[in-house]
Amino acid sequence: MSRTAALYGAVGVAALLAPLVFPAFQTQLAFLWVMVLFALTWDVMGGQMGYNSFGNVFYLGLGMYVTAVVQRDLYFDVEEYAHVAGAVGTLSAGEYLTGLALGLALAGVAAVLAAAVLGSGILGLRGHYFAICTLGLGIAAGEIAGGIDYIGAGSGLVTPVFPDALGRRGMFFYYLFFALAVATFFTLRWLYAGRFGLAINAIRDDEDKAEAMGIHTTRYKTVAWCVSAFFLGIAGGGVGNLVGFIDPTDVAFAGATFGVWMVLMAILGGKGTLWGPVIGAVIFHVTQELFWTYLFGWQRVALGALIIVIVVFFPQGILGWVRQRWPERFGHRVDEEARAPGGGA
Amino acid sequence: MTSLTTRVGMLAAGLAVGGLLAAGPAMAKVEGDTIVFGAAVSFTGKYSTNGKHTKNGYDLAAKRLNDMGGIEVAGKRYNVKIQYYDDESTPARNAQLAERLINQDGIKFILGPYGSGPTKGMAPIIEKYKIPMVEANGASRSLFNKGYRYLFAVLSTSEQYLAEAINLAAKLSAAEGRRVQDLKVAIAVENDPFSQDIRAGVIDDAKRWGMRVVIDDKLPKELNDMTATLTKVKAVKPDVLVVSGHSKGAALAIRQVHEMKVDVPMLAITHCEAADVIGKFGAAADYTLCATQWDETMSYRDGWFGSAGDYAKTFQAAYGYVPPYQAAESSAAVLVWADALKRAGTFDTEAVRDALAQTDMQTFYGNIKFDETGKNIAKPMVLRQIQNGKLVPVAPVEFAAKKTIFPRPMWSER
Repeated sequence: MSRTAALYGAVGVAALLAPLVFPAFQTQLAFLWVMVLFALTWDVMGGQMGYNSFGNVFYLGLGMYVTAVVQRDLYFDVEEYAHVAGAVGTLSAGEYLTGLALGLALAGVAAVLAAAVLGSGILGLRGHYFAICTLGLGIAAGEIAGGIDYIGAGSGLVTPVFPDALGRRGMFFYYLFFALAVATFFTLRWLYAGRFGLAINAIRDDEDKAEAMGIHTTRYKTVAWCVSAFFLGIAGGGVGNLVGFIDPTDVAFAGATFGVWMVLMAILGGKGTLWGPVIGAVIFHVTQELFWTYLFGWQRVALGALIIVIVVFFPQGILGWVRQRWPERFGHRVDEEARAPGGGA
Repeated sequence: MTSLTTRVGMLAAGLAVGGLLAAGPAMAKVEGDTIVFGAAVSFTGKYSTNGKHTKNGYDLAAKRLNDMGGIEVAGKRYNVKIQYYDDESTPARNAQLAERLINQDGIKFILGPYGSGPTKGMAPIIEKYKIPMVEANGASRSLFNKGYRYLFAVLSTSEQYLAEAINLAAKLSAAEGRRVQDLKVAIAVENDPFSQDIRAGVIDDAKRWGMRVVIDDKLPKELNDMTATLTKVKAVKPDVLVVSGHSKGAALAIRQVHEMKVDVPMLAITHCEAADVIGKFGAAADYTLCATQWDETMSYRDGWFGSAGDYAKTFQAAYGYVPPYQAAESSAAVLVWADALKRAGTFDTEAVRDALAQTDMQTFYGNIKFDETGKNIAKPMVLRQIQNGKLVPVAPVEFAAKKTIFPRPMWSER
């Protein structure tokens, strides 16, 4: 266990130093943690509980809008912010941080509330029906957001300009997302280790049996979605500010990019495991950046080929493959071994 | 957690850092005798057609500058090179690419992406790093009310695109003896920043004339069908139908107005040239009014390309098609850089930024002079009508070669 702690420490130190050692890559590194957050939060439902959600991007977009609206409405006049020509003024560091902190907090709350309400309805569905329903959720949200003038409708919403006094923008968001990813990771680790983890795994393995055993499945499922939504909502608030411009369908409820990537990264790394989504997100983000640079014009083709390779050769994800290849390495703990064959299912 | 999984995690983290490092070819803003500009343009995705026009425009101007000995800065001549990335038509990508251009590639001079959305994604970043950007394809007026100091746009803002059509309808109807207040306007625009601004401009002008807006539809971004709107148009019979939705919207409007035989006295759209509606639909595209930033018959000229007509010839020879204005304005953006760098006489970004702000020049594309918000206030929008398969400037009157044919002939009479 102490060895594990040492390795956690090493990863932590490396992560803390990364933006200082590579200052030119701060934004990409910040997005790396965003990707890790995407994959981790998706895996709560898709991996641990076996409910493939294609609509998690809904909470991302919700968080973006809530945060941006709070930031805007605290200090600006809505009409003026959207229309009046000429400078609308910049925020001081204090104002910016207040707006952002309040916005992120409310984003988390809003996402949890939305997940609780939606979950109690949608989570009665199973399998393909649930997947399709959540797919519709993300698409509908984009179209609805595109019709609400208060949040900029189709013209989108620009987040306040990052004040100079707070130093480097990339660095700020790097540590914000790093902290959030660490908090998410350890919260999930704690949750998976306890009764909650066992319950949602039971739901994945056999929901009817789990229910027969006295587990309040709908309650657990809704809570799981709320946990996922909470962290994703906060992440969304940060992503909106990092991107700087919130377009309803291309940035906020971007099902075809962020929405698909979440699923892909978790599967790539090995869904239903704690480290799988992290590894998947890292590998996905790095390959994507490499393809973008070196296979210019063909990056999507290359990405498609990568996905095929993953699905064909690593159906259990990288971690699942490693476990099958070297099961003795995982053999010390009974629960790990028990989980291994179904790890990627 | 077992040590192996942790180790795999470590390996992945190491890979990440190494990979990201490898992901950026090192490049300075000025390498020897070459000035490197950076641009993130849509090569894939829904803006890819216009992204190509944008890149062709940039490349043609860069080539012309290089052929003429490059840009002179402080007595030395520099060649021009452009570092491109693909933003995949999504603003989420532009913010990252702006950082990549500035931080990893060390680029100090940026050329804009295609489209208002991508430009909105880019603007806050260049502002943050105080790196000037001259853009040619982000027309949304909301780009120019954020107090950005490093953003300069050579094109007219989008609310001006089709407002002129409303004025034209008013004048032509008045000449016929009709009450302008009786005119009805139908608007169908894509739900994106650019088209929403067009809508705002049209509504402002319709209000000014006291016209009634009878249809005000938002079209989805996956623009494949507008029959619902056109059915309404058939029922309420507006006098003017305004459609905007980049190239896809232009092609869709012409196709479905023809298919459904919708008779409307005036049809005004954007992106006629970029969508090649004349080539695609032939006579069905006739009588359509097209907003354009630029027309090759205009009398503007400069020392690089000559007249607007000369530019059109050069472009056609290089790429084999008539330059749409998206290409022309992109070329103009490169010329603005050349002019500003020469006047600045240094590569210091602040000095160059100030030189850009003082730009007051004529190019083949039109006059360029920026106001304090960075938008070009020296060039009007032009309205052209498709007459017998040709684009003929009809408004504003000083550029008008011919009279507008109004109302459009009924489909039954064609």
